This record gives sequence, C-alpha cells and structure tokens, in this order.
Amino acid sequence: MPVFSFPALKVEPVPNLVRSLLVACLLASPMAQAMDYRIETVTEGLEYPWAMAFLPDGRMLVTERPGRLRIVEADGRLNAEPVGGVPEGFHAAQAGLMDVVLDPDFERNGWLYLSYAYGTLNANNTRLARARLVDGHLQTVQVLFSAQPAKAGAAHYGGRMAFLPDGTLVLTLGDGFDGREQAQDPSNHLGKLIRLNRDGSIPADNPLVATPGAAAEIYSLGHRNVQGIAYDHVHGRLYSHEHGPRGGDELNLIEPGNNYGWPLISHGLDYTGARVTPYTELPGLEQPLLHWTPSVAPSSLMRYSGELFPAWHGDLFVSTLAEKSVRRIRMQDDKLAGEMVLFEELDERIRAVYAGPEGALYLLTDNAQGRLLRVLPTE
Amino acid sequence: MPFSSRFLMPFLLAVLLATAVGSIIQTQYNLAALQAIGAPIPLAVRLRTTGLDLLGFSPLFGLLVLAGFVFAIPAAVWSSRALPALRWPLFALAGALAVLLTLFLVNALAPMPTLIGANRTVAGTLGLMASGSVGALLFAALSRTVRVRS
Repeated sequence: MPVFSFPALKVEPVPNLVRSLLVACLLASPMAQAMDYRIETVTEGLEYPWAMAFLPDGRMLVTERPGRLRIVEADGRLNAEPVGGVPEGFHAAQAGLMDVVLDPDFERNGWLYLSYAYGTLNANNTRLARARLVDGHLQTVQVLFSAQPAKAGAAHYGGRMAFLPDGTLVLTLGDGFDGREQAQDPSNHLGKLIRLNRDGSIPADNPLVATPGAAAEIYSLGHRNVQGIAYDHVHGRLYSHEHGPRGGDELNLIEPGNNYGWPLISHGLDYTGARVTPYTELPGLEQPLLHWTPSVAPSSLMRYSGELFPAWHGDLFVSTLAEKSVRRIRMQDDKLAGEMVLFEELDERIRAVYAGPEGALYLLTDNAQGRLLRVLPTE
Repeated sequence: MPFSSRFLMPFLLAVLLATAVGSIIQTQYNLAALQAIGAPIPLAVRLRTTGLDLLGFSPLFGLLVLAGFVFAIPAAVWSSRALPALRWPLFALAGALAVLLTLFLVNALAPMPTLIGANRTVAGTLGLMASGSVGALLFAALSRTVRVRS
C-alpha cells in the first residue's frame, strides 16, 4: 500500500526573521501538526469512479460511470464481481451511473439511492432509483424520478444527492448543455434542483407546488451543471456548486424557490469565447457565495465534521477536475473565510471527496484506472 | 497578375467578412434567446456585447471559416468555370456548405453536443451558413473584378 506524505501549508515568501517567527509559532501549534497528512491508496482499478458510500459494516460502495456498482471490502480489497441488478442506463461521455447514497435509516430499511443517465444519445436525461442491497445484488429496484424532457447529447446531468433533515432528498440536475435557456423554464427539470420524498412522491411544501404549469419537484432553478451538494446540519444550510462554462464555476447557498440565474447571469464565457450573457447580476437572481474563474471544474462537495483533522472541522471541501485538487473552503462563524488548495501533488483529476466514518478523507480519482485514496493525519 | 492579388487577398477578405458577419449573427441569436427568457437588452448592451464577441468569438469562428473555405472556394471556382451562368448561386452555396460541414465536423469532435450557441437551432444554423455565403460572394465579386481589370 503506497504511502505519501505532504505538508498541507504553503508559505508565501517573507523576510527571514518574520519567516522564522512564523515557522516557530506554526510548529508549536497543534493546528499545524494536525494539518500534516499522508495519502494512501485504498484500492485501484476502478473505471471512472464517480461516487461512494460507507456501509455500516465497514465496506464501501463505489459507482463506476460505465454502469457498475462495486464493493470495496473494509481492508481495501475490491470485489471482482460488481453488484448485480444495477438498473440499465445510458453510458456515453458524461452519461452513466453517477451517485450512490444510503438512506438515513439504512440500517433499519436497507434502501440505497442511485442516480444515472437513462435513454439514448438522442433522448436522455437523469434518473433516480432506489433499491436494497442483498448478498451483493440489488433487489426491489424502484425508479423514483426521471428528469424531463429527454434531450440529445451526453452532457450535463448533475446527478448528486443530499438528504435534508426532514428526510426528503434533493437531487441535482443539469441543463443538458444545449438547453441552457431551459434552466429558467419552471415547467421542466433542466437546470434545476429537485426535492422528493424518499418514495419518490412530491413533498407538499415544495416551493412551486402551487404554481400553475411548474414542475412540482423543483426546489431551485437557474443552474448549469450541479455536481456538488452538501447539507450543513449544524447551521441548517444547503450548499451546492456548479460548473460554469469557461470560468464562472459557482458555490451557492440554496434556498427553496430561489433562482440562481443561469444563463441570464454568469461570470463565465462560452467555450468559444462568446458571451453567454452580458450580465453578472440582475434583479431577482441569486449571487454565488463565491465563483471560480478560471474554472476549477468542481465535481463534489462535502462538509467536514470528522475528528481526525480538528483544524478542518466545519469547512467545505470541493473536489476539482480541471484544477486536479481539492479546495478547502474555510468556514468561520458560518461565513467563508478563505480557500486552500490541497492534494495538487497527486496531479490527478479528483471526481469526489468524502469524509469517512472515522474522520479520514477519501478521494476518487477520475480516469480509466481510477483509485480510491485515503487521507490521514501524519501522526 | 500575381497570385496574391488574384486569389489570396480576395480569399482573406472573404474569410474576414464571413467571420465578422457570423460573429454578429451569433451575438444577435444569443441575445434574442436571453430576451425571450426575460433579460433586458437595450441598444448599448447589444452594441457592447456584439463588439466583445467580435473580439472574443471571432478568432475561433474565423479558424472554422478558414478551414471550410480552403476547400469550398476552390470548389466554387472550379464549378463556376464549368457552369458560368450559375456563378453567384454556386459561390453562395459553397460558402454556406463550408460553414455547415465545418460545424458538423467540429460538433462530432468536440466533447459538447453543440460548440456554437447559434448552431443549436435551424434558424441559428441558417444564419451562420448565411455568413459563409456572404464571404464566398465577396470572393466571387473581388476575383471577378480582378479578372475584368486584368
């Protein structure tokens, strides 16, 4: 099992005396010691891993975008046989099997939830299903939701999930790339976050339930391609991030019914260099908490509440594809307090970042020979 | 008459015109789509966005036009010699097809479904094709003038 160790702090050039004092103070502080980490490979040979979930018995479930659900034993061994019974989906480019999350009452009811692309190259979108894992096989598979309309192309599916404290589930979606203006149309699911009960029914208090012509599943609208969502149980806040085009990746604080503006406002340009919009703000449209230009390509979001890295407690972690890093967004008193770029030394696209039950960070690398990595304190 | 005067300059001017017209059309298409979902687009915003796209979008679109015209213009020259009565329609068709086929090719190779926003609809695609026609017709006019003068 290869092990690497790296200091997490980057020190800017400063005069020698000041530097010496700073280093002495930092070395004396428990925070500095806690932020040294080592990275070890838990398992490898995963084909474009996309998401993972920690089972109560110590095993881990990992989705692979080509449509496989894999079991990683607690000791890191990858089961050769993928989980059977995974619903058939559409696999091409960005399309495939995406997120897996366990029901908040998993130990009692055994449900797990999967997001994946359905359809064909000319007519596809994101689908949500739930099933029970029994002896390495999915049983009682139930399709809960299929985003509409089915669109052409194999891009922008969203696909991340988070549970709210009331037990409802929020699923992120994408605009399908070609349908960016559809993100402003409340009658469909393109470019939206949706909220469902765990059986797929629509909560009666969804923000647009009473709006004629609106899709009742909608929780928020005006998104591009949302691949990160995390609920802060301490402060009761729902965060999400989304890919911008060329620049304009966003971190947003999600409130039900709010419009986050895509494509009416954006800090990014089209990939061709053209303006997507002349505006970065307009009345009635929400501003991001922060935006990244140039793009980092944020791929998953996690709020750290583990014990192994006390200095990271309460911070947000964003895995990135283009920047090949994990961004630590420092939070102080529920406010953003700066960013730190971590794990660039890996030089790999990071598809997802998680906090394990023991407090270690887990990373999924995005390639045909993807790896599951574990980040632990040096001590 | 040197080759540069007879063909190269008309060719480069044709590429430049097609690129500029295509960029302007792409911007108006994009702004119209934003207006349709509620964005205010006063004249000053329209002019500024059009100008910014001429700077930001034209380099890439110009390369696409250039790649298409390298094949389309010689084809139009050859076919119009065979059918001189159809010279203008042949150049117009060649310019339009050059843009259409280049867009088709680049969409097949690019990771996104459709690279250029205006190419997402039939109307927008026809607009971009029209820019190719305008450029090719300029070449037809300039090369004809040069030929008459010489």
